[in-house]
Amino acid sequence: MSEATATQDVHVDRVLVSLRDVHRDYPLGAERVHALQGVTLDVERGDYVAIVGPSGCGKSTLLNLIGVIDQPTSGTVEIGGKRVDQMSDWEATSFRLRNIGFVFQRFYLMPILSALENVALPMAEAGFPKEEQRMRAAELLEYVGLSSRERHRPSQLSGGEQQRVAIARALANRPALLLADEPTGELDAHTGAEIISLFQRLNSDGATILVVTHDEELAGAARRKIHMRDGRIVDGAVHP
Amino acid sequence: MQQPSPRTIAIDESLAAQAKLKVGDRVTLLARPAAEDYAVMTATPSGYTPSATPPETVIVAAIVRRGADPSQVARGDLLVRMHLDQLQEISGYGDRVDRFAIATKPGLRIGQLLDHINDVAFGFRAYRSHDIAVETSRTFQVVSRFHRAIGVITIVASSVFLLCIMVLKVEERRRDIAALRLMGISRSSIVKSIIVEAALVAVLGSILGVALGWAASLFVNWHYQGLYRTPLEFSIVTPEIVAVAVSLSLFLGAAAGVLASLRLVRTPPLVLLGR
Ligand SMILES: Nc1ncnc2c1ncn2[C@@H]1O[C@H](COP(=O)(O)OP(=O)(O)OP(=O)(O)O)[C@@H](O)[C@H]1O
Ligand SMILES: [Mg+2]
Repeated sequence: MSEATATQDVHVDRVLVSLRDVHRDYPLGAERVHALQGVTLDVERGDYVAIVGPSGCGKSTLLNLIGVIDQPTSGTVEIGGKRVDQMSDWEATSFRLRNIGFVFQRFYLMPILSALENVALPMAEAGFPKEEQRMRAAELLEYVGLSSRERHRPSQLSGGEQQRVAIARALANRPALLLADEPTGELDAHTGAEIISLFQRLNSDGATILVVTHDEELAGAARRKIHMRDGRIVDGAVHP
Repeated sequence: MQQPSPRTIAIDESLAAQAKLKVGDRVTLLARPAAEDYAVMTATPSGYTPSATPPETVIVAAIVRRGADPSQVARGDLLVRMHLDQLQEISGYGDRVDRFAIATKPGLRIGQLLDHINDVAFGFRAYRSHDIAVETSRTFQVVSRFHRAIGVITIVASSVFLLCIMVLKVEERRRDIAALRLMGISRSSIVKSIIVEAALVAVLGSILGVALGWAASLFVNWHYQGLYRTPLEFSIVTPEIVAVAVSLSLFLGAAAGVLASLRLVRTPPLVLLGR
């Protein structure tokens, strides 16, 4: 094996997310909204990327494509070397379950389940044994600082605590990628700061994180900031 | 003249209650002049009404509970069992008899007996008690069919209602369902869990319904058995009824769950979230 190919292999392996000339149009009556207009982007393993830009510039659209929730009108999206832009609903669902953790602005915890059960839910779907589900869910809750809240229902938790449960749930199946769309959007500055430091800790423990946010603090904590405008990346500089 | 010891009669509970009679009471049998075709009895604490033939004093020897005959329930008849000559005397019918029953020994060929009697009989006919029972319960069959129709209509109406509630309930969870789908929970897992939940609620509901029906039937029986003084069961909850109720609600609940959840899991999650 030549040295050149070896380096290239390492490079390919390091890139986790790879988008090439991605367009996403939404039909709007007779018109079409060009939400993404040729986005090309690589995200390396272990990176912590914040996507920022004015409202309506296509941040959520981009995150949804990377999260295999949505499909591009044209262009390719690869995650871990696997094309994900043409997957059937069934393939996409199962891919998301095992490879992607989502954190939403509104935590979307199941109201009738306890914190522990909420965290165990994706593991149950993936078919892990009950005991393993319980143990790992407890570990994850401990990681996000909620060991004492295992039996609590979402309604018995504060907003910040609910978001931390949601983050623990996103990590349940050891996803390659953690995606968050305005994770601090519903929280006050103080609880928002807790989430920000949690993301930093996660990233230093090896998680690859992509956040979309208007929150300067959260964006500032990322290693790399990507600026978007009108469906294009205008600046993808590495964060100092 | 030596007084022969009085003969005995038996009366039914209704009469005992109305005339405040108990076993051992002495009563006088007489027909009121104005009413020739029925028998009246009056308690006589202080003697009796004089009449042509001196009325006979008898002793109430027994108070009998009536059999469970639906055809007699609402008629309010008062029954007295007396000796035949007393009846003839009091009714003035003489030898006339409207109907009488013959008890047969087991093993007798009743068909042949009937044919024989009907061949020789003049002015009357013999029937099997079974045939008479069938004949007299025609009304009840109609009523029962009517009840069944009401039951079917109730079930159809409540199924529609159930489906609507189910759709609304599931609709309330569209965001939860969308979030589950985004997390990678499959459609079939979601539908399954909704079916399980719906079925559970349906079974609990039907158990509650059966308990309520059972309590209502106890009350109905208690009330009407008291009112008509009959051991007749007016309302019964059989194991078959319970089985039908539980399995029907299980089926309807699960079906409503399927219909309601399919609608939602077919919608893309981003659309469910209002995007
Ligand atoms: N389902 C849709 N149908 C039609 N147009 C859509 C749809 N989703 C998004 N758009 C449009 O695409 C563009 C990008 O939307 P997107 O949600 O990605 O913006 P955003 O950067 O996340 O904005 P915000 O910061 O307000 O969340 C907007 O103009 C929006 O109106
Ligand atoms: Mg957005």
